[in-house]
Amino acid sequence: MNARTAPPLPPSRPSRTAASLWAIVVGGVVIAATVGLRIDWSELGDVPGDVLRYSTLMFADPNWERLPRALFEMWRSISMAWIGAILCVIVSIPLGMLAAGNVGPSWVRLPLRVVFAIIRAVPEVIIALLLLTVTGLTPFTGALALGIAGIGTQGKWVYETIESAQEGASEAVRAAGGSTAEVARWALWPAVAPALMSFALYRFEINIRTSAVLGLVGAGGVGSMLANYTNFREWDTVGMLLIVVVVVTMIMDAISGAIRRRITGGPRITEKRSRHVVGIR
Amino acid sequence: MRSAPQRPEAEVTPSASGSWSIRLDDVSVTYPNGTTALRNVSLDIAPGEMVSIVGLSGSGKSTLIRTINGLVPVTSGTVAVGPHTVNGMRGRRLRSLRGHIGMIFQGFNLADRTDVYRNVLVGRFAHTPIYRSLLGITTAHDRELALRSLDSVGILDKVWTRAGQLSGGQKQRVAIARALTQEPSVMLADEPVASLDPPTAHAVMNDLRRVNAEKGLTVLVNIHLMDLARMYTTRMIGLRDGRLVYDGPAAEAAESDFEQIYGRPIQPDDRLGS
Amino acid sequence: MSTRLIGASADSVEAATAPLRALDLPPRPRNRARNGLAIAAFALFTIATCVPAIGGIEVDLGALVRNWSNGSGLLVQLIQPDFSFLPRTLEPILETLQMALVGAAAAALVSVPLTLWAAAPTNPNGVTRHAVRTVINVLRAVPDLVYATVLVAMIGVGALPGLVTLFLFNVGVVVKLVSEAIDSGDHAYMEAGRAAGGSQLQINRATALPQSWPLFANQWLYALELNVRISAILGIVGAGGIGRLLDERRAFYAYDDVAIIVLEILVVVVLIELVSTTLRRRLV
Repeated sequence: MNARTAPPLPPSRPSRTAASLWAIVVGGVVIAATVGLRIDWSELGDVPGDVLRYSTLMFADPNWERLPRALFEMWRSISMAWIGAILCVIVSIPLGMLAAGNVGPSWVRLPLRVVFAIIRAVPEVIIALLLLTVTGLTPFTGALALGIAGIGTQGKWVYETIESAQEGASEAVRAAGGSTAEVARWALWPAVAPALMSFALYRFEINIRTSAVLGLVGAGGVGSMLANYTNFREWDTVGMLLIVVVVVTMIMDAISGAIRRRITGGPRITEKRSRHVVGIR
Repeated sequence: MRSAPQRPEAEVTPSASGSWSIRLDDVSVTYPNGTTALRNVSLDIAPGEMVSIVGLSGSGKSTLIRTINGLVPVTSGTVAVGPHTVNGMRGRRLRSLRGHIGMIFQGFNLADRTDVYRNVLVGRFAHTPIYRSLLGITTAHDRELALRSLDSVGILDKVWTRAGQLSGGQKQRVAIARALTQEPSVMLADEPVASLDPPTAHAVMNDLRRVNAEKGLTVLVNIHLMDLARMYTTRMIGLRDGRLVYDGPAAEAAESDFEQIYGRPIQPDDRLGS
Repeated sequence: MSTRLIGASADSVEAATAPLRALDLPPRPRNRARNGLAIAAFALFTIATCVPAIGGIEVDLGALVRNWSNGSGLLVQLIQPDFSFLPRTLEPILETLQMALVGAAAAALVSVPLTLWAAAPTNPNGVTRHAVRTVINVLRAVPDLVYATVLVAMIGVGALPGLVTLFLFNVGVVVKLVSEAIDSGDHAYMEAGRAAGGSQLQINRATALPQSWPLFANQWLYALELNVRISAILGIVGAGGIGRLLDERRAFYAYDDVAIIVLEILVVVVLIELVSTTLRRRLV
């Protein structure tokens, strides 16, 4: 590209042929994919206009009359997310511990890891959806589905956290004559508990989003309400619902994030420096 | 809770009278990955001796010290500590033996997120029924031992601080207190000052020497710095490639002896200075 | 507490013959009140999520058991995939992949200027920076399928609303993560440009951009991975791809066909992750 200003002196510029070839290949694939999509690209020009028009319908004068119902449904989504997170954590901590190296025997560890990997690879919504068809579409089953769908990721976090815990404290407990249970309680648990709690809250944050999606397919909560009013094309209500979803999600994220930072940062110990002089042998 | 009768396990023999000898007889260690860390090492350490083990990293120092409390099982030979033979011991018996052998580490090995108090109480595990230690129930005797140990290394004021908030020197003192809380008969130290700055290193070595002098404990220190070995210990053992290559009074060890142990000329790094 | 503790120690001291010595024990910091509050808050929140009257969920194990006896047959079907259905899934899965790729590529283009706009070292102007960040945060607070639902209602069923969803979602992810990485990084290199009297744009082009290249590449690949997962489900709300077929077969309770689709998604997701991991190792 910059060949016209070839420097008069060596060394010559290293070859970039390979990089250019790769760029051409990637570009070609993207263009092929773009052309291959069954999209009438002339419509693309209308999209910004459409979005603007509908956005005006939604947000110029949101329908606040249905706010109480929206908050009710939002709380239902949050409840699904919360119960789902608790279920997920209750199941994944023991399973994840068994899947950690040096804790579980390999005939338990490897199958568990395969199961985690499979659950992780399938999008959570699909797992939840398949379970919901079997168990019925209610908020409670939605929470169950969230709990199960999250096990893959959550279990992996648990065993990775346990494996990354420093060996030192465990060795010291063993050297002092501690048993495996004591090693787990006094060396491993203090090291991993904050991270595990933080992951649990993070699971809750993820679940809030996923529960809204489950609502779209009929599990109840704000997603169901949104799907309904979108079908009715009551745009002012849809606008209000979107605002509720965004605001509440951001608030929950902020609260949960603050708690997570507190947990991983450790408790602030307020030390009162008054001294007691006591008798001791 | 505090008036609970003390279990037999919680009773500890006074350490000074219970100082133990250490005896290694033709010990070899080969790890599962095929590395041989110790080759036919024989040693006899009398009760109350203060011994340094000198060698480069990879010479087998850490392995040697860990065979004594069974953290590393020996491949052949026998290890005896006091009246006990370590190899072949397993489970409850091994744990209870470990209860009599204090150990401190290069990396301190504290549970950083737990307070100093709980870290020091780890030293009582071998003498506490498991259900109690899991629930965190302590006896008055254990609590007193823990506080007394902390006081003896001068950091009682940090008792409620989280271990992670301490400086390196303070952490190593907590680790020494943890070992003292065991009321041990032998004290092992694996490179206790390698992560510390020179003044702190001297302070920690002094602590160890005091433990040896005041309580008459057998102390075994891994160290790679020649001046510290000379200054603080009475007997020195040199290891090179897993073989015992030197055994004699530490003060008399000459530069040439160190060069023989290291297998290379003395370098400035081999001394701590002060 | 500290006094009680010492009292306990004193008990055994009385029995001992050793002389008493003063011991300076700092008082134990107590956080019982705080812990109690945390536990109470947790319990209250959990209880509130189980009160149907205010929107909480109704824990109804009976209904679950009843449905289970009806539905368990479907799960048995799920482990007996019907491979004859495979040909019908190829076109939708290709569409899914195409959407994922095009969405990620378009977002990659747009993400570069937006990221430099949203990061403090590359955009000293606080007003525009916060404006971009706020928009991005709002973008990210909306779940992907919610976008898709609304967009389908706006511009009709098909791949286009799906593509727009992926695009918006990717822009949110890349801009947020990369701009935060630039913020937290070391920007000594920019100072040289400033000292040489370069304009912010020149500095960005000459230093910040090459410096953040690996960060971008990493997140683009991550966005592509996410897209494959998301585009697989977009069809559930009518936004194109394999999800539409999946939802259709599910609605017909044809779980043997569903099994094929899930298997296929699984394979594609794993493949894309393998490719992406390999590329990442090369690029970064």
